[in-house]
Amino acid sequence: MTQQFDIVDKVALAVGAALMLLGVVVLGLIEVLAGQPYGAAPLTNEAGEVIATPAIDPVVRTGLVILGLVVLLLWGVYRAITVDAPADRTPREVTAD
Amino acid sequence: MAYSETNPLAENFGFDVGGPIAAYWIALLRVITGWWFFHAGVTKLIEDGLNFTYGPMYMQEMTGTALGPIPVWMGNNLAWLIAPGVPLFETLIGLALIAGAFVRLAALGGAFFMTLFWIGNAGFGHGVVNSDFMGLLLFVTMIVLGAGRYYGLDGILEKTGLVKANPKLRYLLG
Repeated sequence: MTQQFDIVDKVALAVGAALMLLGVVVLGLIEVLAGQPYGAAPLTNEAGEVIATPAIDPVVRTGLVILGLVVLLLWGVYRAITVDAPADRTPREVTAD
Repeated sequence: MAYSETNPLAENFGFDVGGPIAAYWIALLRVITGWWFFHAGVTKLIEDGLNFTYGPMYMQEMTGTALGPIPVWMGNNLAWLIAPGVPLFETLIGLALIAGAFVRLAALGGAFFMTLFWIGNAGFGHGVVNSDFMGLLLFVTMIVLGAGRYYGLDGILEKTGLVKANPKLRYLLG
C-alpha cells in the first residue's frame, strides 16, 4: 500500500481531525471559560432542579466528533476503492535491464 | 538505535510501530477490548438469549441526540434485528478481536455500537470525553493500526491464497 498521500488524503485527514478537535477540545475550552457547568451536562441543585445548562449543547459537540469520524470512514472507503491494494511485503527479485 | 528527530523517544525506548513493544501492547489492548465486548455480549446471551428487548427500548428513548431521529427510527422499525443483534454482534465482535480475525471489520461494528452508547448514555457530567468515548476511540485505534496483524489470526489469514488473490480484503482484515 502506498503511503504517499495526495491532496485529497491530506484534506480528508485534516478535516476529520479538525472536526473532532473542534468538538472535543475547542468547544470544551469555551465550555470551561463560560463557567459552570464545566461538563456537558446541566447543573442541578439538591432538589434536582436545573440551575445551569451547558453553554454549548452536547448534541453539537458529539455531532462534530461523529461527523469527523464519518469523514475518516469515508476517506478509508475512498482509499480502499481508489488506491491499489496493499502490497505484498514479500521481497521480489528484479532483473536489471 | 539511531537518533530520530521526529521521535526522540525512539532512541531510548524504541516504541516504533514495527517494534516488539508496540506489537506486544497493541495485541494486549486488542484482546482486552475484545474481552470487554465478548463479556457484554455473552452475558446478555446467557440472560436473554437472542431476545434482548432492552435494545430496541434503549434506542426508542434516544431522542435529541446528534444522530437526530435515526436511533428512534431504528428502535421502532428494526427491533427484529436489534433484539438478537446486540448480544450476538457484541459477542462476535469480542471473539473476533480476541482471536485477531477480521479485526478491522469487527472494530467498525464496535465503533458503531460505541457511538450509540456514547450519545445514548449521555453521561456528560464530567465532559464529553467519558469512558464510552474512550471505548469508541479504542475501536478506531484497532482499525487504524490493523491490530489483528499483531499476534492475531489476521496475520495468518493475510497469507492465504484467497487474500493474496483479493488483496483488498486486507482492508477488512488486519
